[in-house]
Amino acid sequence: MKSIFYKEWIKIKWTFLAFLVLGIVGHTIMFLKVRHDILFVDAVNYWYSFLFRGYPYFSILKFLPLVAGLGIAIAQYFPETLNKRIKLTFHLPVGENEILLKMHAFGASSLTAMFVFFFVIFVSGSYIYFPAEIIKPSLLTITPWFLGGLATYFITALILLEPIWLYRGLYTITGAGFISFFYMYGTIGAYKPVIISLAVLTLLISTGVLFSGYRFRKGEM
Amino acid sequence: MNAIECKNLTHYYGRKLVYENLSFNVEEGKILGLLGKNGTGKSTTINILNGFLQPKSGECLIYGENTQRLSPSTKERIGFLIEGHVQYTFMNINQIEKFYSGFYPRWNSAPYWDLMSKLKVTPGQKISTMSCGQRSQVALGLILAQDPDLLILDDFSMGLDPGYRRLFIDYLREYAKAENKTIFVTSHIIQDMERLIDDVLIMDYNRILAQQPIESFMKNFRQYNIRLAQHDTGFPQTKLAMNIERIKDTVEFYTYSDENEIKAFLNNSGISYTSFEEKKMTLEDAFIGLTSKY
Repeated sequence: MKSIFYKEWIKIKWTFLAFLVLGIVGHTIMFLKVRHDILFVDAVNYWYSFLFRGYPYFSILKFLPLVAGLGIAIAQYFPETLNKRIKLTFHLPVGENEILLKMHAFGASSLTAMFVFFFVIFVSGSYIYFPAEIIKPSLLTITPWFLGGLATYFITALILLEPIWLYRGLYTITGAGFISFFYMYGTIGAYKPVIISLAVLTLLISTGVLFSGYRFRKGEM
Repeated sequence: MNAIECKNLTHYYGRKLVYENLSFNVEEGKILGLLGKNGTGKSTTINILNGFLQPKSGECLIYGENTQRLSPSTKERIGFLIEGHVQYTFMNINQIEKFYSGFYPRWNSAPYWDLMSKLKVTPGQKISTMSCGQRSQVALGLILAQDPDLLILDDFSMGLDPGYRRLFIDYLREYAKAENKTIFVTSHIIQDMERLIDDVLIMDYNRILAQQPIESFMKNFRQYNIRLAQHDTGFPQTKLAMNIERIKDTVEFYTYSDENEIKAFLNNSGISYTSFEEKKMTLEDAFIGLTSKY
């Protein structure tokens, strides 16, 4: 387990750190803008525009989890597909499914840790400028975006490990359709009734990589 | 006791038959070289052996386990060199040694560092920035450190200059013989095989042409050069010949038969010739003689 995580960390560390920095910069810009707007517009009017006009002060963050999920998946799985290096991984004295799941667990955990960190920054920063009545629906609004980031990670891994280009194309089209559910236009907190369902679907899709791994091992080409 | 047993392998890519009912064994402690022209199924066989391809029928066993379902404990006993010395090139030589050592209980880093000391690389240098020859030594060093009982080496000589090829072969042969290891190896450069292997398995399209100890193959498989008296003389087919190549009035006759049998065949067929000589062959000559030039 330690060796697997060691290799996976070597692959993703720069991408991980890059997105971490990007997230910090994104949050900083967002809160600077909030501070600027509150100073110039007045806090009550600014809160009003959020509560009754649905103006989301955090829209700058919308696609950050998606891009991070895509980036981490590419950093982790693309090197495995070069020269079919995944053969080396499957040849290690560990069950093939077990090793794929451990690699997946590492990538998903790293991404989750990054998202939790962003959540903490988001909540801490928001408490400076907003009351709990605004922060709570804000969190409900950004949660699907982060789930979408995880789903993007799982689907990208599935696509990258798939040995046949035609199937890759089909997975890309289907995956893009599925991921768009997480980012559809909606009012603040609109996703509240479906967050659990989206989380369950994301969890289910996480096992899809096993199918690509199985097809590779059976020599599909 | 056999390290590898392949029984009645049949495989197709789409409708194209690769081979049918192919069977062979590799005895423990032996070095077997699989030779064949492009497209005869060498890579297919390697992929089946490593569990990356399911044959249409038949099976391969490694230490008694079906290669489609190798247990981690059996995989521990197999060292695998992928064609082109593929490795995790995003690591450096320290990182990759640290990574693999966590998987193999018998890990012995001494041969790895011994080989690395021969390379002019810095410890922090990524494998991706190394030359093909240097990468081959990294891949070989890792396999030796794993201390496997069976080594499967797919086209190990690919991209290597003569010096690295010689280093690879000499190191490998010495190691295999000293430690009683079994090796299954393919290579496009057949002259390398002569220095390395104990047994040879030569494949042609859909069939095995030869499977025997290299010593007996080189002793029994012969080339006779026959200069015909008249260049327009026809040359009949015969079961004595494994292959016949003809350039104008010279016939290259490849056979397992001895000189007397061939001369008797020529006399019985009414073929007159001006010279008849046995030509000493290298393994490469014998391979081309057996499989034909085209």
